[in-house]
Amino acid sequence: MELVVALGLIVFKVALLIAILLLLPLPLTWLERKIAGHIQQRMGPMRVGWHGLLQPVADGVKLLTKEDHIPAEADRFLFKLAPILALAPPFVVFVAVPFGESVSVLGTEITLYVSNMNVALLFVFAVIGIEVYGVIFGGWAANSKYAVLGSLRTCAQMISYEIPMGFAVIGVVMLAQSMSLLEIVRAQANVWNIVYQPVGFFVFFVAGLAQAQRIPFDLAEAEGDLGAGFHTEYSGIRFAFFMVSEYAIMLLTSVLAVILFFGGWNGVLVPLPPLLWFLLKVAFFVYVFIWFRFTFPRYRYDQLMAIGWKVLLPLSMANIIITGVAFL
Amino acid sequence: MSRALDRTGIWIGWAFFADLANALALTFGYMFSRPVTMQYPDKEKWLPYSRYRGHHFLTRDEEGEIKCVACELCARICPCDCIEVIPYEDEKGNRHPAKFEIDMARCLFCGLCEDACPADAIALGQQYEFSSFSSRDLVIGRDDLLGKPGKAMTGGGVVAARLNTEQDVLVETSEPQGYNWWRNIRRT
Repeated sequence: MELVVALGLIVFKVALLIAILLLLPLPLTWLERKIAGHIQQRMGPMRVGWHGLLQPVADGVKLLTKEDHIPAEADRFLFKLAPILALAPPFVVFVAVPFGESVSVLGTEITLYVSNMNVALLFVFAVIGIEVYGVIFGGWAANSKYAVLGSLRTCAQMISYEIPMGFAVIGVVMLAQSMSLLEIVRAQANVWNIVYQPVGFFVFFVAGLAQAQRIPFDLAEAEGDLGAGFHTEYSGIRFAFFMVSEYAIMLLTSVLAVILFFGGWNGVLVPLPPLLWFLLKVAFFVYVFIWFRFTFPRYRYDQLMAIGWKVLLPLSMANIIITGVAFL
Repeated sequence: MSRALDRTGIWIGWAFFADLANALALTFGYMFSRPVTMQYPDKEKWLPYSRYRGHHFLTRDEEGEIKCVACELCARICPCDCIEVIPYEDEKGNRHPAKFEIDMARCLFCGLCEDACPADAIALGQQYEFSSFSSRDLVIGRDDLLGKPGKAMTGGGVVAARLNTEQDVLVETSEPQGYNWWRNIRRT
């Protein structure tokens, strides 16, 4: 009986997670367009629903009913595989991400995470690396020069930025003496990691921007010079898959930034429910992502590589060394 | 000394991304400034100034007779030949246009017909919503021109309006004067 309840709980949590992650791009696209509009002194969507709130739903219906076009010269198998490869990893990663300690519902303690892995951080970085295959396959299979250029750029970008990103979080792991995200948050109960690891956070955040392929590092889709980059040839629901994946990664980067450097669900000053604290912090980071997008121009390709290898990598190395000397 | 200090200051600022922070502060400020969007045609509409050159109209004198004396000066001066006037003489011997047609598809709204008219009969009014699916419908006759709205009395504002698509597409408004759109322009 207990096993059934436990299993049911896990299935329920996973279903809830998937539903939230699939639906979250709707408000996020609305928010992004609204913020973009107001930064540019426009209003953004205004016509469908109150202040355009139903606009993402209308867009979703449009995407679903559009022709699912596959170019004649495309590699059909890879072309169909790529959106799924891009979509699945960001969803899988959230299995290892905790959203809080636990809440008691009807007398039973329900933990706010699907699993408490002791190598959660490693799992996150390992799985999120697979997402790149979706992008590369998508660009390659479409048999279009813009798509190939976009995916080549992504390839180079991911390789250069995953390394500093991985190094940047080692400082956090050293402080918490654990790779479990839950333990990392518990270790920040008194002082958040951002106090000890400002350089680590800086490297992590910049690399996260590159990982999520947001401006100023959105070379993979660079609208100006590549059409739409790797998903130039995609339409309809497959395109929607790529968009959902992109928003999920943006969310994941925000969640990781909060968990690793901003104390997770530990609050300061104002006693709010832990889950609310967590969501507020994540929302702030999501806002920062969107804010950055409509403030900065895009880096040139060689500048991107230079920043990755000549600035971020040495900085993250120095961060590890200094953390090691100071705390161990 | 001070120049050297300035330079160090710039370098320190550069190292801590002062320029990027400036940009972020600027866009953040813009986010809370008033949008300049005019929500035409759903909610708002622009009232033109009285000097605006929109759709032509013909005027009548006090007796209700058409002012036009069919001298055809407007047709002569028109740079794109879009006015066609055919005169007739009534019982009292006054010339009036039997036919007065303006091809709005050709008109470039220069206002020369208004300047040339010796009888102040033709002028360019405030109406600007007369697009059509057929260029044939854009040839406007004498009686239609007499019914067109004249110059705007006030203007230069944005008024609340409503889009009416029941028969024709019409942007209706009842307000004579609106808010000054320029107040929303951020000048810093």
